[in-house]
Amino acid sequence: MKRSFRDLPIKQKLVVTMMVTTAAALIVAAFGIVLTDSILFRGYLRRDLSALAKIIADNTTASLQFDDPKSAGETLATLRARGHVVDACVYRPNGDLFATYSRHDSTGCPPMSRQTGIRFTPEGVVVSQAIILSGRQIGILMLKYDLGELWERVRLYGSTVFAVLLASSVLAFLLSARLREIIAAPISDLVRATTSVSETGDYSTRAEKLSGDELGLLVDRFNEMLAGIQSRDDALKEERERFRFMAESMPQKIFTARPDGYIDYVNRQWLDFSGLPTGQLLGQNWAQIVHPDDVEDNVALWRHSVETGEPVHLEHRVRRADGKYRWHLTRAHAMRDTDGNIVMWIGSATEIHEQKEKEQALRRANDDLQQFAYSASHDLREPIRNVTVYSEMVASRYKDVIDSEGQMFLGFLVEGGRRLAMLVNDLLAYTSAGTAELPEARVDANAVLKYSLASLAEAIRESGAEVTSDALPQVYIGEAHLQQVLQNLIANALKYHDANPPRIHISAVRHSADWCFSVQDHGIGIDPQYKEKIFGVFKRLHTDRNFGGTGIGLAICKRVVERYGGRIWVESEPGKGATFFFTIPRRAQARTANAE
Amino acid sequence: MACVVLCASPSGLYAQSALEFEVKAAFLLNFAKFVDWPPNAFAAPDSPIAICILGKDPFGHAIDDVVQGESVNGRRVIVRRINTTPAPHTCQIVFTEETGKETHATVESLGPGVLTVGEGDAFVHEGGMIGFLIENRRVRFNIDQQAAELAELKLSSRLLAVARRVQK
Repeated sequence: MKRSFRDLPIKQKLVVTMMVTTAAALIVAAFGIVLTDSILFRGYLRRDLSALAKIIADNTTASLQFDDPKSAGETLATLRARGHVVDACVYRPNGDLFATYSRHDSTGCPPMSRQTGIRFTPEGVVVSQAIILSGRQIGILMLKYDLGELWERVRLYGSTVFAVLLASSVLAFLLSARLREIIAAPISDLVRATTSVSETGDYSTRAEKLSGDELGLLVDRFNEMLAGIQSRDDALKEERERFRFMAESMPQKIFTARPDGYIDYVNRQWLDFSGLPTGQLLGQNWAQIVHPDDVEDNVALWRHSVETGEPVHLEHRVRRADGKYRWHLTRAHAMRDTDGNIVMWIGSATEIHEQKEKEQALRRANDDLQQFAYSASHDLREPIRNVTVYSEMVASRYKDVIDSEGQMFLGFLVEGGRRLAMLVNDLLAYTSAGTAELPEARVDANAVLKYSLASLAEAIRESGAEVTSDALPQVYIGEAHLQQVLQNLIANALKYHDANPPRIHISAVRHSADWCFSVQDHGIGIDPQYKEKIFGVFKRLHTDRNFGGTGIGLAICKRVVERYGGRIWVESEPGKGATFFFTIPRRAQARTANAE
Repeated sequence: MACVVLCASPSGLYAQSALEFEVKAAFLLNFAKFVDWPPNAFAAPDSPIAICILGKDPFGHAIDDVVQGESVNGRRVIVRRINTTPAPHTCQIVFTEETGKETHATVESLGPGVLTVGEGDAFVHEGGMIGFLIENRRVRFNIDQQAAELAELKLSSRLLAVARRVQK
């Protein structure tokens, strides 16, 4: 396994750094010393060799003068003491070799050079020295000196440097052990502390401060950070305890769930109620105590909420410790952080069993009543029609027989029968509005408006009304129901007008979740105090003398609109006309099953 | 010129002839270069160095050719030919080819400041300072250092090194 320097522990890095620095400094210094020395040594060698050459030259003058190569050879042979002299040769001025001295490894005399001087060549130093006597050149001495001395010195320096390098490396290593103590130990300590904190989560751990330098500062900051985390941790714990206490002391059943829907806490009320240990209620286990008929629906809703983050709202039966199911209203909301991400779900379940039972009883009673009202009004139509029809027949056929007073009474009878029939019809419409099936398809409100206006054609013509409309949308509502609403509202507008012919405008505005229809008139308007009242059954603001009607039209409208999950209201000022609004959800939906 | 003689090559093959004396003439001049005379050996500070040939002259004009234009330590070199003991200060080098008691007496009477050069080993034994000899057909010489010192002459060590034999 190859590890880069970067991955080495700081201890080893320190050692390596120190050794490398020491070695580099020494090598550079050694190089400098050797370089300087070799330059100095060349100067020394130059002086030394030229002095030597001068002496030798001087000592050979007599030999030359007296033509005695032998004595010259003896003189030259004294150079044997200077081991680095390779060759020493005396030439006569004409270039003839006069005397020589050669070391065993000589390759021959250097060629004569008439110019006195020293030349450094790769093979060695060549000295050329004129031999002069009484101002006359009588010969030339050529000396060849090897550079062994120079290399010896370089070798000597080299080995010295190597030895020093070795010694200083050992010293650096020994010193670094101490430095490691100073630098690496606090870091190791810090690392130990951080590791301990991250492994145990115990924020009361503190790193020991061993120095006053940056490392010490680092340790201080780290400890401060730990203290900060610890206090926050404590605050968090306290907060959690507070929540726990609150949750435990509530009469409701409280639970929390992770963002993925996993139940991770239930309060004591759950345990008391279900008689199960905590473990059997956590996670997805809650489904086991929900009534089998509700489970599928509940699980789907919960899953939907977890996916979308929408609040959960469900009514379901939950099994008690004694095995009986009790109705509960369960709500859960997603708690989000500042970025909008779900952190947890918090939910509560409230037992609503008794309310639920009362409600169901009430609904059953209501249903019965409605059924009774429906069948009663249905069954009443036939006898009432008979009353109306036959009293009209009597009035027309026995006109001559009955006196005027009798005819007046008959007229009351006919009128009463007609009103009774109208009343029963409206009652039937009202009761049937509450039981309507939800539509599968949308209907075109424009077409529905057209039918409504056709039905009211006679009344419109009579009143001389002007009815206008905008383009209307397609909506999810029973065609007959929409017609009922529109027709009732328009009929109202036609009915309650002042001296001027009524002007009526129908339009629809799209809102986020629904369509808002409006029917606007410029009639007599409605006093604000009656704004709610007018939607009640048999609530009429005016006597028959001025305006006809059963007083049930707006109640039917309200029932229909609410049946489809919409609402209806009026905005008006007396004398300035009124605008009736009603909404129809853009998506098909029913009011909750327990409506009304 | 001395060089002409000394530089002759191959050197050392001298016939017992004029060539030998040409070499000896050059040697006489060369001796002057390796000997220090006391100041009182000269008549005046600028007196020349005189090479005196006592008695028979074996050189002929060869020695005159050799010393022609030469000077040693700022002193010209001249040749004198003499037949009797010279006066003081007139000769710095005396050469004689002759040997025997007479010569010995003459040489002894010369006094300090004169370098005496003669022929053969006997000359040195008889009180002379430098005696020529032929060795392997080369001209060589012996030296009696003691005699030279008695005459207040300083012989260069280099000269001594070249001599065949040095008597102390």
